[in-house]
Amino acid sequence: MMRADIGFAKRHNRAALIFLAPALLFVFAFVAYPVVYAGWLSMFQWDGASAPVFVGVGNVLRLAGDPIFWASLGRNLLVALSAIVFQVFLALVIAYCLVRIVPAFSRIFLFFYLVPVMVSEICIGLLWRFMYNPYFGLVNAALKAVGLDSLKRGWLGESDTAFLAVVVVMSFTYLGLYVLLFTAAVRSVPESVYEAAEIDGAGHGRKFVSITVPMVWDAVRANSLLAIIGSLKTFSLVFVLTNGGPNHASEVVSTYLYKMGFGSFEMGYAATIGFAQMVLTALAAWIVFRYMKRKGDA
Amino acid sequence: MTPTVVHRWNRTNSIVLAFLTLHVLMVIFPFVWMIYSTFKTNREFMRSVWSFPTSLNFDAYIGAWSGGALGGYAVNSLIVMAGATLITVLVSTLAGYALAIYRPRWMPAVELSLTAAMAIPAYVALVPLVVMLRGAGLLDTHLGVILPTAAFNVPVSIFIMQAFFNTLPRELFDAGRVDGASEWQIFRKVALPIARPAMFTVAIVNMIWVWNDFLFPVVFINNPARKTLPVGLTDFVGEHITNYPVMLAAILIAAIAPLILFIYFERQITAALIGGAVKE
Repeated sequence: MMRADIGFAKRHNRAALIFLAPALLFVFAFVAYPVVYAGWLSMFQWDGASAPVFVGVGNVLRLAGDPIFWASLGRNLLVALSAIVFQVFLALVIAYCLVRIVPAFSRIFLFFYLVPVMVSEICIGLLWRFMYNPYFGLVNAALKAVGLDSLKRGWLGESDTAFLAVVVVMSFTYLGLYVLLFTAAVRSVPESVYEAAEIDGAGHGRKFVSITVPMVWDAVRANSLLAIIGSLKTFSLVFVLTNGGPNHASEVVSTYLYKMGFGSFEMGYAATIGFAQMVLTALAAWIVFRYMKRKGDA
Repeated sequence: MTPTVVHRWNRTNSIVLAFLTLHVLMVIFPFVWMIYSTFKTNREFMRSVWSFPTSLNFDAYIGAWSGGALGGYAVNSLIVMAGATLITVLVSTLAGYALAIYRPRWMPAVELSLTAAMAIPAYVALVPLVVMLRGAGLLDTHLGVILPTAAFNVPVSIFIMQAFFNTLPRELFDAGRVDGASEWQIFRKVALPIARPAMFTVAIVNMIWVWNDFLFPVVFINNPARKTLPVGLTDFVGEHITNYPVMLAAILIAAIAPLILFIYFERQITAALIGGAVKE
């Protein structure tokens, strides 16, 4: 504010506060306060009905030694990793193809890629249960068609394949969002940069690696962060596909929390799971952000 | 504009087009299959699960809609969607305007807090919210779902609105100040009228998010008469496990509203998704 706005400054501060108040009130009451409250509840053993029993760090100690929690958290990280490879990176390749190779079709492709992003995850999960059906599922039918009968199985019902099957559905479901975001980023790269490379005889592979990737690196960073945050939040698809089963084989933190809180009615322990997850989420996001920032500077 | 390099359609383009087509078909196949399978009879379905229907048969839709359960769930979803979207759009427009226009010293802290709130998984707040809602007598009510749902959608909606207000020239608002208008009058008379398309965009994406939301409704609502569509759908599917076309018709009914919105408002929705993500 370089002009003689000083007289307005006080008035501006007050107006800003008043305009922000309703939103901040909502976020405080239903996001911030419950999160802190979860930290408080984590110190109690409580079935949700009778009086809570104070156990101090008892829940945290139990959590630290709970192999199901750590395995679930590990799966959240695997979801994040697979999201970066099969959603973010794949989307970047697809966006390059759409913008640089088949631009005439980019709008229609983008539309279809976005269909699963719009539809409820419950619907998507229910549909994929048919795809994976052990008796008539399409996945098994396709394997049979190419002569790989031996690989046929009940994908969602067997512990060695349940998690993999869920991750595959996630990749198909959320890919479109990243294709959209990268299409916008790739479009913003000036044509002249590509033309210079083309005069030098660069092919698509070369242009993708040496021009597109560095030019949209900010978007890669932002979208990877988005994918990691989304992966740690994941719930509905896992819930409807396997509910974390069989025998916790595809459990993620959210489904474990849900089972503990609303299946076993261990509300205190469920709050502990959530609170710990949030602390670890913050930590993970911070580390990745730092790491990518340093790489970006280099 | 004279392109230095002439792009001709060659084999690379054809191969890429073929691969993309194949891939996109894999992505949307479950939806295509869902649509055509609803026109089959159950017997036809059991005979061959993946083939096209031999004739158009609407029994599955009649079967899914009769009994009224889905209709009731849809009404509940509409109520929750309308309530949460209304709240989110109103408070986010005000806040997004403030973030874009005013620059007090504490504003970066507000921005940082909202960004952090966006990263918090909803399930972290789940148990405390149940306790709070029960205390307020809001468990098992629409309002009990509406309030937390709106709150969790507010931060990203604020950033979409802020991005919109940032594109407007400052002078637009300064002119009013010189004329002696109050800050509220400037917002009402200058900002609000031009913000309508952006508010509409935020409303559309929020409608889709709320409509599809599952975690809060499944935990906060037990009364079958108040369940929303995605939650009710899981019940419905469990009850109709023997009639697949009816089950698929029910899934289609639950999926159709967001798809129609997407088809009509593709431009606004994609703009909002890009605007909301850029912030992070």
